[in-house]
Amino acid sequence: MNPSNIKTSINTHVRVSKIPKAVFAGALAVTLSCSLGTTLADETCSSPYLARIEGQEEFVYVWTLGVEGLGDGSDKLVTVDVKPDSPTYGKVINSVSVEGRNEAHHGGFTDDRRQLWLAGLDTSRVFIFDVYTDPSKPRYVKTIDNFEKTTGGAIGPHGAYALPGRMLIPCLSNAKDKGGRTALVEFSNDGNYIATHWLPTKEDAHGAADAKIADGYGYDARVLPRKNALLTSSFTGWNNYMTEFSKVTADPEAMKHFGQTMVMWDFHARQPKKVLQVPGAPLEIRWAWGASHNYAFTATALTSKLWLVYMDDKGEWQAKDVAPISNVKGGVLPVDISLSADDKTLFVCSFMDGKCRVFDVSDPHRPKQIYEKQIGRQVNMVSESWDGKRVYFTSSLLARWDKQGADNEQFLRGYAWNGKELTPRFDLDFTALKLGRPHHMLFGAKNMGSGPRLTALNNPPQ
Amino acid sequence: MSRTRGRLFTIALVLGACRTIVTAASEDLLPRNSDYDYEPPAPGSYTLPAIKTAADGALLDSSGKAINLRDLTHGRITVLGFIYTRCAAPKGCPYATNVFDQLHSLSAKDKALTLNMRLVSVSFDPDHDTPQHLAEYSEWVRETKSGCDWRFVTAKSRTELDSILSGYGQAVDKRSNPSDAQGPLYHILRVFLIDRDGRIRNIYSSATLDPRLVLADVKTLLLEETKLSKQ
Repeated sequence: MNPSNIKTSINTHVRVSKIPKAVFAGALAVTLSCSLGTTLADETCSSPYLARIEGQEEFVYVWTLGVEGLGDGSDKLVTVDVKPDSPTYGKVINSVSVEGRNEAHHGGFTDDRRQLWLAGLDTSRVFIFDVYTDPSKPRYVKTIDNFEKTTGGAIGPHGAYALPGRMLIPCLSNAKDKGGRTALVEFSNDGNYIATHWLPTKEDAHGAADAKIADGYGYDARVLPRKNALLTSSFTGWNNYMTEFSKVTADPEAMKHFGQTMVMWDFHARQPKKVLQVPGAPLEIRWAWGASHNYAFTATALTSKLWLVYMDDKGEWQAKDVAPISNVKGGVLPVDISLSADDKTLFVCSFMDGKCRVFDVSDPHRPKQIYEKQIGRQVNMVSESWDGKRVYFTSSLLARWDKQGADNEQFLRGYAWNGKELTPRFDLDFTALKLGRPHHMLFGAKNMGSGPRLTALNNPPQ
Repeated sequence: MSRTRGRLFTIALVLGACRTIVTAASEDLLPRNSDYDYEPPAPGSYTLPAIKTAADGALLDSSGKAINLRDLTHGRITVLGFIYTRCAAPKGCPYATNVFDQLHSLSAKDKALTLNMRLVSVSFDPDHDTPQHLAEYSEWVRETKSGCDWRFVTAKSRTELDSILSGYGQAVDKRSNPSDAQGPLYHILRVFLIDRDGRIRNIYSSATLDPRLVLADVKTLLLEETKLSKQ
């Protein structure tokens, strides 16, 4: 909360003196007290439009890929208790299976945090859960199972990103050739289709500058509201992500089909403005949170580099690589990254060597690695709490890209971070628990400033 | 000329004549600031796909008269926000009311907006926000003789309120501490842009309730109507 907000309104806007003065006096008093009091918390990677948890996360929801012959073999939403004083701390307290295996990947809450949407990269199904009625026991509500037809041919929904009253779903592929050309899709919080926005290509630039390098690929999509800026990144299509990793890397033709670009959009107009060259499959996007920090980080999977997308002195968006991620020959396949709420620390997971590297990014143009730790034989996702004290890791990348044999560890591991080192807190073996391959993590809580429920869930079961 | 075509002709005429004036007024009165640090897209340069139909429900206006919400979401381009007057959250209801006031003020200088825009503030706190209280709260609006229609309405009953809030996806809970400095109710700010036919065309939160964007959206819908009238 920014105390300058309401002051700006009072000072600069017209006729405000005629609005009841008590309204603004109260708001101003609360603004000042809030800056000293209430702690809002959350995963640092979540949408800026999302209602925030007050205090500490209580549950980690894990979107988990089913494994044939393991348990019921289906994808499932697993709930882990992370309340520090709970007798079930670090334990699985709930699991809800969905139909079959869908290449479970990423998900996200609606902006009011009442629903959790979970996407399947293979089947293009999106599963919607109620996490409001009882956050400790998410309840399946419904499935969007006509995604390809509804969206006009987009497939491979990668995740779900909260916007006001709606969800933005960046996709990875298309139904026509199952390559990397793809789209952003919007649904209302009710699950009704709104629009499809295809990413620009050199043949169909949609008005974007530098479209001669546009590849039309997609992966992540995240907004910096203060700048009306939507940034997208690019990975690869269904043909590659549903093929064995060793086959993809051994096929020179397949290796040509990875994203080489990021796109800056006018968010409100949903129009691409500029294509940025970022070779090597730029994946997760992490906008800085600082009030004057006009930049975002990403990591390139195939070239093992940290990239910075930033606004230059002339107000133009630019991209440049700012640091290598390891000096291992051939790279380490960096995957998820997590930026601390104070924009000073960046956690970087690399799948091939199973390590987490921590960078001091106080100067975003000159990141410096300050720490590294072996998390497992493979590691993919990292989620950090808002206060920076807790960090969670999961192991699975894609069903056909995960390691084989003894290297195929499947876990959720919780750590404490003291600014210098990671200390283990709990370890859940998802294979021994017959759950599957854990992927995306999201934080849940009952404590969101709410007491007795005043309204019913907005979107009742269909 | 049919009534509809005549209305659209009037919109086109007024909008064309007033666009320059409104743009200048907007730049003066709605400056770029650190929360909304960008130039908004030009009206008509983008589209606003329909999201869903605006829900109906039984309400009371600030004079205590029964009114259907549908009557406030049709016939004009409506900017509708859910508020409660006890809210003291800095970027909550007081902020939304301030933005509505800015839009109302701008509409007084723009005949197209005066004639074609409507502002609706719906309270979700009927126990406190009685018609009489809303009348007192909105006294300054009634004192203003110019500008577009701005209605303050409250729920007829808790049952009716639940139905309306559910229809719009407006989350509201009681705070565990009723004496919370931000007010006794926990909610996210939701403001809706509704076209003349009662379809929701945009949804704003505190992070996107930039009056310049709302104004651009209203004008985009007006321009859309003029394009349709020429087809």
